[in-house]
Amino acid sequence: MAAGAIYGLFAIGVVLVYRGTGAINFAQGEIGTLGLFLAWWSVTEQGLPWIVGAILAIAFAAVVGAGFERFAIRPMVNANRVAIAVATIGFLSLILAFEAKFFSPSPRVLPPPIEGVGVEIAGYFVSPTMWLSFAVVVAVSLGLGVVLRKTDFGLGVLAAAQDPAGARLMGVPFNRVSMFVWGTAAAISALGALLIAPTLGAFAPGFVSLLFLKGLAAAVVGGLGSMSGAIVGGIAVGIIEVWVKDIFGGVTLPGVDVLVVFGVILLVLILRPGGLLAGLKVREAGA
Amino acid sequence: MTDTRWKRYLIVLIAFAAIPPVLTRMGFLGDFWFETLAKGVALAAMGLALNVVMGYAGQISLGHAALAGVGAFASGVLTAPDRFGLPFFLGALAAMTFAAGIAFLIGLPALRLKGVYLAVATMGFAFAMQESLFRAPFISRGSAGVELPRPLIGTFEFLRAGDYFALVLVLLLLVWVLDTNLTRSKLGRAFQAIRSDETIAASFGVDVTRYKLLAFTISGAIAGLAGAMYGHTVQFINAETFDFDQTIILVIIVVLGGLGSRVGVTSAAAFYVLFPAILVKLFGNKLLGWDFIIGAALLIYTISKHPGGLAEAVRHAREKKAARAVRDAAAGGATHDDTLADVPAMPDMPRPAGLPERTTEATGTALLSARDVTVSFGGLRAVDDVSIDVHRGRIVGLIGPNGAGKTTMFNAMSGALTPDGGRVSLLGRDVSNAPAHVRAALGLGRSFQMIGLARDLSVTENLLLAQHMVAAYGTASALLGLGKAPRIERELRTRAREAIAALGFERYADTPVKNLSHGQQRIVEIACVLVTAPEIVMLDEPSAGMAPAAVEALAQRLHDMRDQLGRTLLVIEHNIPLVLDVCDELYVMNSGQLLAHGDPDEVVKRDEVVGAYLGEMVPA
Repeated sequence: MAAGAIYGLFAIGVVLVYRGTGAINFAQGEIGTLGLFLAWWSVTEQGLPWIVGAILAIAFAAVVGAGFERFAIRPMVNANRVAIAVATIGFLSLILAFEAKFFSPSPRVLPPPIEGVGVEIAGYFVSPTMWLSFAVVVAVSLGLGVVLRKTDFGLGVLAAAQDPAGARLMGVPFNRVSMFVWGTAAAISALGALLIAPTLGAFAPGFVSLLFLKGLAAAVVGGLGSMSGAIVGGIAVGIIEVWVKDIFGGVTLPGVDVLVVFGVILLVLILRPGGLLAGLKVREAGA
Repeated sequence: MTDTRWKRYLIVLIAFAAIPPVLTRMGFLGDFWFETLAKGVALAAMGLALNVVMGYAGQISLGHAALAGVGAFASGVLTAPDRFGLPFFLGALAAMTFAAGIAFLIGLPALRLKGVYLAVATMGFAFAMQESLFRAPFISRGSAGVELPRPLIGTFEFLRAGDYFALVLVLLLLVWVLDTNLTRSKLGRAFQAIRSDETIAASFGVDVTRYKLLAFTISGAIAGLAGAMYGHTVQFINAETFDFDQTIILVIIVVLGGLGSRVGVTSAAAFYVLFPAILVKLFGNKLLGWDFIIGAALLIYTISKHPGGLAEAVRHAREKKAARAVRDAAAGGATHDDTLADVPAMPDMPRPAGLPERTTEATGTALLSARDVTVSFGGLRAVDDVSIDVHRGRIVGLIGPNGAGKTTMFNAMSGALTPDGGRVSLLGRDVSNAPAHVRAALGLGRSFQMIGLARDLSVTENLLLAQHMVAAYGTASALLGLGKAPRIERELRTRAREAIAALGFERYADTPVKNLSHGQQRIVEIACVLVTAPEIVMLDEPSAGMAPAAVEALAQRLHDMRDQLGRTLLVIEHNIPLVLDVCDELYVMNSGQLLAHGDPDEVVKRDEVVGAYLGEMVPA
């Protein structure tokens, strides 16, 4: 469940970029890993408090995400989505290569923000970090919802997704919108990584990309364009994962959770290509 | 396929099969280098596989290393002496079948949708394989992995690295030949049209989902074979052999190799394997890790500078040079094509074989008939209960102010969209729910308000694409270059050449359509409609963007199409003098409804028609 909330968080990042610029940033998760490495360095090597490391990591991820948008994505404004996706894959591989080169592949451990085993609920221990995760997910999604719906800039982000050219003509600062969504999504990814790392134990290069895949699945479950769908999708993926692990706990097939996530993606594409919540919305008009 | 091509392939085949075994026996190049080269060859085959999906059809797959892995594990489990111990070729065949089957199953749901869903689904597939199935006990015995033997054919064991290298080289040649046949057939053209614009591809009669799926499945088969080649080269595989990093390496190879260029992709793969090997031999392991960083950085730089790939960038440069040469040659006097005072004669094509029999419609019924058609977009009724009949041998006009619903009505009649209500019949057959490519096969051709050509393809390629429906040969025939495909392709090319000659456009035969003037594009577009000799021709604003003098010539051509080619025409037009000149019958639409119908000269004088054009409120 807590993991599901984090997947929802990653999914929000995916939806944000998809709605803002019509693209999927495949490097998004790995920017989070980069942030984790920075947090680990600050907290474990430099002895700084957890919160300082976390802020450094999130800020750094935001800068990396926004910087990538500024220097690689923006010049491609007229390119198709395939080319943009390839560019993000290139960035993903650049980060992976960088991590492999400068941090050894041996796993590292980041201490949790709050120590303690936590409360037992229905046979599962819910650690303070998990509680914090829930709170943060709720806060981030509510906060983003308010920013997007209530401020001019947020409405510009939503408008840019519907019709980039039209939004630009209406005076929406498209470049700033684009940089904002890429940066914010990367920051969210770092935040999610910081929250889930203590629960999963150690992390290594490529760590967040696997989690990001689950976020991506969550976004697909939610319909790729909907914030609330992303949260629902994340929790759904989290529940299915725990459920499958319980059922197949005795089976010696490794990585069942990933296999299931792949199955979920395929099933949603077969049954409800518009996402689980698609039926609830009025069909969009269009030629 | 021509005889000279077969001959050339045979020579290459003999060279590939003979040279490495001789070299290895003479002691040139040790086993290390032959194995490195074999790895490069296998990687090149994987690159060519991904190239079919990404370079030709423009879809992203992030699961190609995993597909190759499926092939390698399939071949490994089947051929390993301690497992099933089957012969090498059965293993390779199984590798292709398994990988193609899995590609088909992933593509089936993911490719129905536009956009990046294939990337998402294949990324899920890649991780599912890497984290789970490739580690499964029944496949790889947990982390133990699979040992793949060197092939044994008859009594000959490919133990020497040089002999084995010759074998994979021959397999690469096989992939190369298939790939070449693919690009020269309707498959390759359909893929390219999809990459260029899915809507336009569909208007040419390409079943977009089917062809995307075909591209991914063929690509899966090649990836599977390539995986088997790789597996038998390295002789030991586990889950890490085909992890997500490998997929990214393939993407780098395909993009840097030029997105769609066989030579480029193959060279990039060879370079990727050889260059680090040479560096390691020269400098030891000091530089390890940097190759990937440099490769990734180059990938980002290349794709953001040339989103269409390096091959396209090279082609553009060449085209620019050619265009300059043409301009220089024509310097001194403007060519008649550029002023377009003269619209060339339209090509007269016999109806090609291979189309379904045309039912002769009952006398008195219309050739194309729309009854009470309604189309709604959300709450807006763009077309409200409109009926239009088009009788044989007539030029029927459809006019109306902007937003009247003319093009929407057109789309409902041609099959670009399904009406919410009403019926459409074509040659006496109910086609209300038939998609555009089915109606095209029955004998309906249409042009678009915006130019409906594949912009990146040349004039010849567009004319070939326009005959997609006529190219009645199967996928296997196309890939092998045997059977019906070569003969039909020759016929299509002849027709395209004749059409170009009729237009007097020989000079532009190989020019991408986007480099032609707007008026020239219009003419090529109409030629594309005519090249399959449709019974009924629907033109959406044919005079748009034409110079006034050219419009006069266009009127003559429309008359020719009716009188000399025996075509029936339905034309949307804004140019009223042109309408009055050519149309036998006129329909007027306003606000989604039919406003008037009758003799053109009489209809345009009616008060409600004049009112609609002047924007007055006229009681109906």
